[in-house]
Amino acid sequence: MKDKFLINVVPGDTFLHKLSGTTKVRLFVTLLIFITMSFDLRLILPVFILTLLGVISAKPNWKQVKLIMSVVLFFNLLNIFLFYVANPVVGEYWCGQLTIIGRLSDYFVFPVETFWYLFVRLIKMLTNFMVSLWFITTITPSEFAAGLYSLGVPYKVCTVVSLGFRYIPDIARDYENIKISMQLRGVEMDAKRTKISERLKQMVLILVPLIITSFDRVQTIANGMDLRGYGRHKKRTYYCEHEPTEADKIFQFFTLILFVFSIGYIISVNVWPPQTHMWCPIVWR
Amino acid sequence: MKEPLIEFKDFTFRYKSQTEATLHDINLTIYKHQKVLILGASGSGKSTLAHCINGLIPFSFEGEIKGSCQVAGIETINASIFDLSKQVGTVLQDSDAQFVGLSVGEDIAFSLENENVLRKEMLTKVLDAATVVGMQDFLAAVPYRLSGGQKQKVSLAGVIHEDVQILLFDEPLASLDPAMGKTAIELIDDLHNLNHKTVIIIEHRLEDVLHRPIDRVILMDEGRIVADTTPDELLVSNLLSTYGIREPLYLSALKHAGCEVLASDGPCDVHTMNLSRFEEKLKAFKDRYVASVNKQYQQKLIEVNHVSFAYDKVNVLKNVTFDIYSGEKIAIIGKNGAGKSTMAKMLCGVIRPDQGFIHINASDYRQMTIKELGAMIGYVMQNPNQMLVKDIIKDEVGLALKLRKMTDEQIEERVNEVLKTCNLHAMRNWPVSAVSYGQRKRITIAAMLALKPTVILLDEPTAGQDYRHYTEILSFLEELHEKMNLTILFITHDMHLAIEYTDRAIVFADGECICDDQVYKVLSDPEIIERANLKQTSLYSLANRIGRSPEALIDQFITLERQGKR
Repeated sequence: MKDKFLINVVPGDTFLHKLSGTTKVRLFVTLLIFITMSFDLRLILPVFILTLLGVISAKPNWKQVKLIMSVVLFFNLLNIFLFYVANPVVGEYWCGQLTIIGRLSDYFVFPVETFWYLFVRLIKMLTNFMVSLWFITTITPSEFAAGLYSLGVPYKVCTVVSLGFRYIPDIARDYENIKISMQLRGVEMDAKRTKISERLKQMVLILVPLIITSFDRVQTIANGMDLRGYGRHKKRTYYCEHEPTEADKIFQFFTLILFVFSIGYIISVNVWPPQTHMWCPIVWR
Repeated sequence: MKEPLIEFKDFTFRYKSQTEATLHDINLTIYKHQKVLILGASGSGKSTLAHCINGLIPFSFEGEIKGSCQVAGIETINASIFDLSKQVGTVLQDSDAQFVGLSVGEDIAFSLENENVLRKEMLTKVLDAATVVGMQDFLAAVPYRLSGGQKQKVSLAGVIHEDVQILLFDEPLASLDPAMGKTAIELIDDLHNLNHKTVIIIEHRLEDVLHRPIDRVILMDEGRIVADTTPDELLVSNLLSTYGIREPLYLSALKHAGCEVLASDGPCDVHTMNLSRFEEKLKAFKDRYVASVNKQYQQKLIEVNHVSFAYDKVNVLKNVTFDIYSGEKIAIIGKNGAGKSTMAKMLCGVIRPDQGFIHINASDYRQMTIKELGAMIGYVMQNPNQMLVKDIIKDEVGLALKLRKMTDEQIEERVNEVLKTCNLHAMRNWPVSAVSYGQRKRITIAAMLALKPTVILLDEPTAGQDYRHYTEILSFLEELHEKMNLTILFITHDMHLAIEYTDRAIVFADGECICDDQVYKVLSDPEIIERANLKQTSLYSLANRIGRSPEALIDQFITLERQGKR
């Protein structure tokens, strides 16, 4: 079962895997802020390279990663293309000038600034994806819960996260069983033989028993948790959350600096004085 | 000095949603270091009694309480479930649902996490608890890789580190195969003896629990305690048959031999009970034995020929070969993960062989779709809730016919016929959700019979059912077998079922078909039993004690039991 998911339940043994949940969640959140705050390639590119190295070092299941990556790349390229179609001179707003080096028609012109902006935008989106991918491939759901908890999220919310992951395979197994029983009774699941509308109807047929069996289980799970003192105290500890190692301390320190820098950057750019221009190194005259 | 630990005084409980009380006038005192079995059929109130002890009543199940229930000096009505959880460790029946952690270590640590224990202390405590149950080498394992028995051990480890005094086991044998069940009972006994815990076991499988000594048995029926006695006394009384509890096989065998067992014979353990008084009767019994004649079946229905199947490059079935003849009753047995369910799915065409072939009615089944196979082989899954999709019973039974585009009149006629056969006709317009678990099982069987299959394949038909319901379902199937000449395949690890209701057993171990023979021969072969994770039946032990061949004794027993049923 577990091999079907990109997310690993078993802790891996690479350097990034071994960081504590808290470190990983904090770094992840900070990096997301850092990436989102600017269109400055000087800030984005290093993160892109580092997280790419991070993903490689975590030795993920490449087959799955490739699939996801190609989907993401496709949609991002589509996004960029549509951006261009919507407004070919969008670069003027971002760089403050327009250097047209060719034209297809009066509307579809080729300004360098627009290309620069769209290029940075693409890198930014891919970096966001890389940050997420790095995070997802190196963290286990329990570490995620522990990390969220360390950020002050109430632990009941964190439990929902880890419990969800715990029971996904069980629900998948139920689904598989119900599907088989339906097939035997004559529900045609073969995509080639049935219309989409028919198949949707049949999906509903499967969902009914699936929901009923899942609800049956919820009560038992809740009892099991009550009996082991869940919800007794306001605080809790996490078994999977190991004491910070040297590496954790260094990473957390680095994260803190990055966080403070990001906050400072956001304030300086947006409040005092507000700027809309992005960093654009190429000056065309 | 006997020190009372749990005391019920004139205790009555009614669930909020019900009009009648579930427990009536319970007066019960359980003392420190006792090992108590609470015995009873489903609906006898034994689980409700357990909920009262561990505090789920009134914490999770609201209702009206009269009288008093004290656990370790705490009045449970006023106590929080958390205070009680420091005294009572509960292992639930569904060890899958109790397993909330994403790894063994995490799950064992769950209660410590909730108690805010520092991780440093947690690590040693988790390791200690895991060592007690023998799971110390699996701390990093994920739940999907564990067997039912291992999950149960983890559940147990998860409740013992609070230094609880009382361990409460709610149907610990329900989801385990025979060998695992035996290990579980041994582990519980060790905890009782070595760790000095007071142990309460809720079960209806008396014989399996008695594998290790029990101090006291509380028998319940309809919310009342009907007996509070020792196992020896209980076994020689007629209480078992009155209250729907199965008598141990060796005692049934002794009864067949005409022996009148007394409590002073120590009947609760087949290995030590006094048998010297019965020498003559047993000898006469032996002389009466005539080897049974194998029924001969003519028409070959299914031929499975050198079939192999791999799932994710792991061989789940290896070179399996067997035949099934029309009208046979066969048990497919073996431990969980041995390939039984894969074989069942393959017979239904959900998966197809990588190598080898299957012929049904002498034609190659590769040409047939799942839908066509579904009409020939009715597959009844273990959990009826996974099969029922319609609101009304009659629609449920007619679903497969509707999907096969039969006319409404045809459907009506066929459905009525099947419902009558299954004794469900009076309920035909009832909502499916309103009927009991056993009746739902019957509906799923009816839904399969609507297609007029030649074979019916049942996955663990007796799981989660007490002896009364078990007998009901199986006699019903027996009846169908006779009325419709139905071929029945049981996938099971219930040895009683195999003994009483089938002629032949096909035994799987590690994806191989290791044995295909008469049931009594299979059950008297120690090597097969070992490899298939089965358990020696007590008949085997009895045979050894009285110096008879186990094969002959089991054969004689089966013949007599079947005569008795007719």
